[in-house]
Formats: sequence, structure tokens, C-alpha cells
Amino acid sequence: MALKQVSSNKCFEGFQKVFEHDSAELKCKMKFGIYLPPKAETGKCPVLYWLSGLTCTEQNFITKAGFHQAAAEHGLIVVAPDTSPRGCNIEGEDESWDFGTGAGFYVDATEDPWKTNYRMYSYIKDELPKLINANFPTDPERMSIFGHSMGGHGALILALKNPGKYKSVSAFAPICNPIQCQWGKKALGGYLGSDVSKWEAYDATQLVKSCPDSHLDILIDQGKDDQFLSAGQLLPDNFIAACTERKIPVVFRLQQGYDHSYFFIATFINDHIKHHAKYLNA
Amino acid sequence: MSSRSGSAGEYETSDQSPSCSASPPVPESSETEAEGLIFYHMDLYGSKERFDIFPEDLSGQGDRSWGDTRREPALSSQKFQRSQEAGYDLEKEVAELAKMYGLDEDREKELELLGGHVENRWPPARTGKAKSQGSIYNASKSISPVKDQSQSTKPQGLPDEASQDEEPSKARAEDEAESCIQSREGLSSGGMSDEWNSQAVSEEEEVADVFCSTCKIPIRAFDKLFGEHKDHEVAQLPSAMESEKEEIHKNMCKLEEQIAQMENFACHLEEIFITVEENFGRQEQNFEVHYNNAVQVLAQKYEEQLEALGEEKRQKLEALYGQLVSCGEHLDTCKELTDATQELYLENDKANFMKAAVAMVDRLEEFLKKEVDLELSMLPDFEKRVIDFSEVEQLMNSINTIPAPCAPVINPQAPNAATGTSLRVCWGLFSDDTVESYQLCYKPVSNETHSDEQAEHTLKVKETYCTITNLLPNTQYEFWVSALNAAGISPPSERAVYVTAPSPPTIKSKKIRSCENAALVCWESRDVNPVDSYTVELSKLTDEEDGDSITESIVGIPNCEVIIHLQPAQSYRICVRALNLGGSSERSDPVLIHTTGTYFCLNEDTAHPLLAILGDGFTIACDELENPECDLPVYDNSFTRCIGILGSLIPFPGKHYWEVEVEEDTEYRIGVAFENTPRHGYLGANNSSWCMRHIITPSRHKYEFLHSGMTPDIRITIPPRRLGVLLDYENCRLSFFNADIAQHLYAFNARFQHYVHPCFALETPGILRIHTGLAVPPWTALP
Repeated sequence: MALKQVSSNKCFEGFQKVFEHDSAELKCKMKFGIYLPPKAETGKCPVLYWLSGLTCTEQNFITKAGFHQAAAEHGLIVVAPDTSPRGCNIEGEDESWDFGTGAGFYVDATEDPWKTNYRMYSYIKDELPKLINANFPTDPERMSIFGHSMGGHGALILALKNPGKYKSVSAFAPICNPIQCQWGKKALGGYLGSDVSKWEAYDATQLVKSCPDSHLDILIDQGKDDQFLSAGQLLPDNFIAACTERKIPVVFRLQQGYDHSYFFIATFINDHIKHHAKYLNA
Repeated sequence: MSSRSGSAGEYETSDQSPSCSASPPVPESSETEAEGLIFYHMDLYGSKERFDIFPEDLSGQGDRSWGDTRREPALSSQKFQRSQEAGYDLEKEVAELAKMYGLDEDREKELELLGGHVENRWPPARTGKAKSQGSIYNASKSISPVKDQSQSTKPQGLPDEASQDEEPSKARAEDEAESCIQSREGLSSGGMSDEWNSQAVSEEEEVADVFCSTCKIPIRAFDKLFGEHKDHEVAQLPSAMESEKEEIHKNMCKLEEQIAQMENFACHLEEIFITVEENFGRQEQNFEVHYNNAVQVLAQKYEEQLEALGEEKRQKLEALYGQLVSCGEHLDTCKELTDATQELYLENDKANFMKAAVAMVDRLEEFLKKEVDLELSMLPDFEKRVIDFSEVEQLMNSINTIPAPCAPVINPQAPNAATGTSLRVCWGLFSDDTVESYQLCYKPVSNETHSDEQAEHTLKVKETYCTITNLLPNTQYEFWVSALNAAGISPPSERAVYVTAPSPPTIKSKKIRSCENAALVCWESRDVNPVDSYTVELSKLTDEEDGDSITESIVGIPNCEVIIHLQPAQSYRICVRALNLGGSSERSDPVLIHTTGTYFCLNEDTAHPLLAILGDGFTIACDELENPECDLPVYDNSFTRCIGILGSLIPFPGKHYWEVEVEEDTEYRIGVAFENTPRHGYLGANNSSWCMRHIITPSRHKYEFLHSGMTPDIRITIPPRRLGVLLDYENCRLSFFNADIAQHLYAFNARFQHYVHPCFALETPGILRIHTGLAVPPWTALP
């Protein structure tokens, strides 16, 4: 599990770095971005994992979201992994933007030919934290997760499927009910097969309905002018309805005029960092 | 005392040392002293080595001319033992002697004279030694002040030597032996390196540089280390001097103070002197007048009595004289009759005789018929007369009584002379009049001219003060006083106006607000008349229930409210006193303030008529939205449309947190508003209020965060049962939380130009329970 530093840039007295490593889970080289706040030089810091959306690499978030200042201020290490295995030479992996490369959907594929490499769920859940905790001054007991769109979906399912693993979770315009939307149907069908009941294990709304009482405080921001909201890809209402029914605390903020872009993320990233800092630094 | 011309002999030094004559000849001890002393010095200079090299030194000095030299080792070892025993005492004695004779000082001077030549002088001293003991002696002496001492003790041998000529050699031998040792020391020092010399010299030169506080003398530092002052407390000389100077300065100041005091006292004495003169002069005059009167009266009485006595005497004498005269006449008549009778006897002529005899007998008979009065008409003693002194007595008594006294002088009101219902009035006499009692009159000062008579009171008082009770608080009273004695009553004094202390104020507990760091306390005066100021007393309550100790007083508060700065998480008991010229009132009833969190009350006068405040004052309820039957009373300040109420203003910067318990199906608006928020509008609908609104739509609970009628679109999956409100003036935020799960719901970023009031409104029948005095939960620090 050797790490290879790809880049390092000083940022708000800390460092934004990119590393590359050979993933055992994904059987390919993976990159991830990691921001080390100034506090990491003297002590152990909590880790906040960011899961990006469709088509993204580790670069999008670290270059566009503008999270560094808040992360530096609250002393959070922020890890931004890639969104899928890359260069695995699987037939069709680069055919569409919403499946295959850049669209790992944070599931462990069970279908050929994906099941060897497309194990993003296990990669995010186990391998990556292990790697990070082994190589950086982290406090393994304190980690949280958030993401955008497909990453928001990933953050929600990881948090809901692993109670207690994450101190908090939040999402920007998450795909809340993938079994009900086109993106989800395509991806889940591709990675997991046609048995819809298997999909439910990776559907946040379904997970809420079946999950034990959760004390997670979930913050979701959603741009009101998000084209994917109106296209029915995100379906937050279903998730909120489920959470309301199951008494899962969610604050869902429908932000007037915002779309699905990183401009929207950058606008509210501070609120999310604070939201996580509240629980990570408690 | 320098070691000039050593040839003069070793006893020459005795003349040089002024101390010699004064030095008591103590032969034995002085000897030991000297020896011990020498050894002490050797010891000090690391004598061990020198001791060892000493014989070598000696052997090196082959030109030594005296034979006693070989005695030295034995002698010195003997001395070594003795000095060890005697060392300490000797040191002390020597030091004392040295001090007594000012030898140290002399030594200093000498060393000054010697200056830097000391080292250069050594070789000549060494060579000189060979020629003359004395010169060596002198040389060594000039180096060591303590040797000087030994030397000074030596002359005791001089008379010995003179008188006991038979033992001169022995004495000399001893002396020589000693001087040998001394010179040996000198020698060895000379023989040693310059380093030692300079050491020795600097050692000698070392003046007293520390101060022994125990002995009160300056000493040298090494005395502290090794000497008698070993265990004493010492100070650096400069600092000791400083402190001593300071001490002296203090004493000077004290003296000056005393001088001033004495001068004052002298002035006072002079005044008293004059007063005594005056007083006694007056009394002398008084006595003179009265005693003159008395003397005159006595003289007059005397005259009168004397006159009466004389008259009586004259009358008595006159009466007696009359009696005497008549007695004489009677005697004459008897004699005449006797003579006539005898003549008759001699008459021979019978006829004639008979004729005459008859006539005679008749005459005798007639005469004898007359009774002779032999009773004293007057007694010799005088009439009993009572001497009447009553008038004099009265006069005498009147010497001590003085006419009716002068008008007393009434004092102006003294501080703390008043309570709410009483006044202590004082007055005095300007003169020395004797007064039996005073008549004190008073009445309340009133602008109404008619009421003069009604309320005038008179009291008879023995003292020059009186405490009048049962007065009205914070009221002015006029007092005047007259003095009385047997002779009458004085004119009344001037009138003095006193004022009673105010009534204790009443703290308006419904208006109290507090937070972690401060409290706003309001009160009202119970008096009609205005008071000068108020004092707030606060005592921090501890676990020991010892809350009576006032920890702080805030004085001179002109208004009926004050903000007090307090410490967080404490309990305080707060009282208010009102003050006027007369003094301070009793304490008001206390209020307790806990600085755990922000506390406020509800302003009832802002409540919508349909809004009821339940018993505890923090629960508001609305039973029905319409009340068509009658018009409920509406205050000017109350909400007319929104069924709401304002809490009292939160006038403290910083963070403030409170919670509201709500039912899941209650529709409400909870937030903050400016004082002037429109009463006819809805909370949050304008730019002077911020609130969270809960409404129930057919599909869901809807939460709005309203300001100027605008709200973000926010969905909350768990309806809060306990809503936390965090008002953060500093960071310009108003945040709402689901307090049960520490969930941040929303935060207004609002620049509050003024302090705000909490506000609460119900939109459907229901109840809101407001919880204040809560510490700000830590989870509110971040969203």
C-alpha cells in the first residue's frame, strides 16, 4: 500500500496533496486528494470523506469547492477519492458518462465484467480509510462523510449502512432514491443485475425505511433550479418522506436559484464543513 | 600606623595604637586570643598548604637570626589544638574588640595609604625582617588587622616586663616566639606567589560589605560564611543601607507628623487658655456681683440689728436710772426723817417735844405707809433676737443660678441620622447656660400655609439630642428647640429642616433580566417625593448559605434600573436601597438572580387579548382564535392581529439562549423582534422581526424562517418538540435548533441595530412553554 505523491500545494497554511496508490480492492491505480490542515502538523485530526459525483475525478472537488479555508479553520483532514476504477480495460467502461469510468456509484458490483474492479463501496468503506489512517495523522475514531449527487448518494448509503462508523453525514443534491431514477436504474442494473431487491441495499430511501434508529444528523442542500431535480434523478422528497416517517433528523434546504454545479457546492460548503466539525470536534 | 622605620622596637606600636591604653590587660586570654587569631587567619587562607611548606620556608630562610625558630613547629601545632578549641570564641572576641576600637577603620585608612604598594612592599619586609624583628612585626601587622588586634593586646606585657625584670628573657622569648609566628606568616605570605598576596590584600582591603541584621553591624561577607555571623541573617550592605535610610526617613516623617501634631495641640492649648481666661473672668465678675450684694445685705442687717440692740439698751438704762433716782429720793427722805426724829429726841422741852412728836409720828406714819419698791424694773439681759439669714441665704444661692438660658443652636442633619420613620436631632448651647431641659418642637414641612397648627409636636428632652419616631419616610420636618431652667425658657433656636430616609424600594421582579455575565434590575420607589439616588447591594450566594456578606455595592444610581456585571454560573441575592440627604432606606426585599443563562420575563402589556399567560409566567396559551362575544381589553402596546407577546428586552451583548416547548400540532411563530415591531402585523412579516414559523399543511409540517415576509425553503423531518433559540448579538446571528437532538435548523444572519425582545405567537389554539435561565449548550457553537 505504498503511496505516491502526485502533487502538493500549500493552501491556508496546510497542504492540498494528491496521492496515487495501487488499490487491492479495485485492482488498479487510484488517486485521491487529501487536504492536511495546519493542525495536522501537531496533532491527530478527524477525517472528512468527500464523494464526488458522476464524471468527476479527485480533482473536481479540490479545485472547485473552496473548502480549504473552513477545513483549515476547523482542523479537518478532507479526503477526496476518485469516483471509479480507471484503466481497467473493461469493455464498455468508457461508453457513457453515467456508467463505468467516473460512475462507480459507490457499490460493490456483482455482475461481470464489473465485479472484479467496481467495488467502490468497499474501497470507500474499508480500504481507503485504512490507507489514510496508516499514512496520515488521523483520529480513526472520528470520521464523517459527505458528497455531491452520486457522491451524495454514496455518502448517504455509507452512513446509513454503517451506523456509528461516521459521526455525521451531509449531501449536496444527492441521488436520494436511485432505484427510482434513470441514473440509478442504469447503474444498479449494470453493476448488480436485474434483481431490484438487490438494489435496495444501495438506495438511501430504502435504507432509511429499513434501518435501525439512527442518530445521524443529516444536512442536505439542494439547488431549486437543479436540472436533475426537475428531471427526477434526485428525488429528495422521497428520502425526506422516509426520514420523516422513520424520525431520522434531516434538515433539507431547497436553495432558491441554485443549480447542480460546483458553484452551488462552493456556496454552501462552509455550512457543511461546520456541520461536520460540530460532530467531529465535539 | 604604617610600617615605617621598623627599628623602633616592637613595643613602639603600643603607642601607635590608641586602643592600647584602653585595652584592659587580660594577660592569659589575650595571649590565647592572639595565637588563636593567627591560626585562624592561616586557616582561612588555606593554611594547610602553607603549614606544610612552612618548615621549608623556614629552612629556606637560613639567615634567621633567632633561635626560637626551631620551637615553632611544636609551638604552632600546640597552638593549632588550642586555636581549634578557642577559635570560635576568639574570633568573636577579636571581631568585637576590633569593632570597639575602630581598628577596622584604621586598617582601612592604612591600607589606603599603602595602596597598591603592598605587594611591592613585601620583599623589603622580608629582607627587613632579617635585620629586625620589629620591622617584620610591623610589616606583618600592617597587613593583618586581626594581628593588629593581637598586637594591641600585647602591651599588657609591658608593665609585666618592667616590674618583673627577673623574667624579661622569658617574656621576651614568648613574645619573640609569637612575633616569629607572626612574621612567619608574613614570611610565608611573602614566600608565596603574588596571587596569594593579592588575595590576602584584597581580603584585607575588603571592607564590610554586608550587614548583619541580627547584630546590627556591618560585617564582611566572609564573616557571614565563617565568622560569628554564620547563622545570622544578613543583607547586602547597600540594600541594608537603603532599608536603614528608608527607616530613618520613616522616622523623620513620624517626627514631622508629631511636630505638626504638637503645633496643633499648642494652638489648641492657647485657645483653651484664652477660653479659660474668659470663662473664669466671667465667673469672677459673677461672684463679685453676687458676693457684694450679699455683703451689703449683711452689713445692712448688722446695722439694723445693732440699732435695735442699742435702743433696747438705752431704754433699759433709762428705766434703771429712773429707779435709781427714785430710790435716792426715798433714801433722802428717810435720812431727813431720821434726822428730824433724832432732833426731836434731843428736844427737852416737853411741850415742844410733844407737839413736834405728834407731827413727827404722823409724818413717819405717812412715810412708812408708802411701800418701798425694791423690784428691779429692768432685767440686765437683752431681749432674744433671731438673726435672720434667709435673705442672705437666698442671695448666696443666687450666686449659682443664672438667668434664663440663651437660645440653643440646632445642628443641621448629620449623616445616618435618619431612618424611614425616625430622625435623630441634635443641638447645642452656644453659652455656658445652665439648662434643666429642652423643649423640642417639630412639624412636617408643608407648602400649605394653613396646616401649620395641625401637626406641630412638642417634646421635653433632657439631653441635647432626641430621636423622634413614627415619622413619615422621605419627608422633610422642621425642628426648633428652646432651653429651660428654673429661671425660665430661652427663645427658640433657628429652625432646622431634617429629612427622613426613604422607604425601601420595591424591585420589579417581573422586569428583571439576566444572563451569564450581567443582570438588569429594575425597581420603583415607594415614596411620593423623589429620592437622591439608589444603591444596589449584591451578595454572591455560596454553598455555605452565608449570603449576608455584601460582596459588592453599586452606589449613586440615579434611575430606577441598573445593569450589574456578574460572574457566570453563580447565584446572587440583590437588594436595593434608596438614598436621600437623610440617609439610606432599609434594604428592599431581595431578589435572587442565577447567572446560569439568559433570563427574561414576558411583557404582559404586549400580549394579544386572546393570549393568556399561565401561572408560572412563562407559559402562554391560546384557547380560541375568535372571541366574538365581547371585546377584550386591549393595551396600547399589545398585538392586535398576531396572537403574540414580547418578552422583555435582552439588553446584554453576547449570546443568549432559551428554549420553547411546543406541541407537535401547535402552529407558532417564535423569534425576536425590535421594540417597535408593528403590533398590527405578524411576526416575521416585517423587517423588525425574525421568527421561525411552524404551520401544518395537509401534507406535512412546514417550517418557515421569516424575516420581511421571506423564508428559505427548508424541510425538517423531525418536528421539534423543544425549540432552541440562540441569539448571538456579537456574531449577528439568530439560530434555531431542535434542542432534543441538538440539530441545527436554521440561522438568520441579521445585523441587529438595537437590542431585541424575544417574541412568541400562537396561530392555532395551543400552549408554548418558555424555558429561560439555561446555559448555552455547547453544540450551538457550530451549526
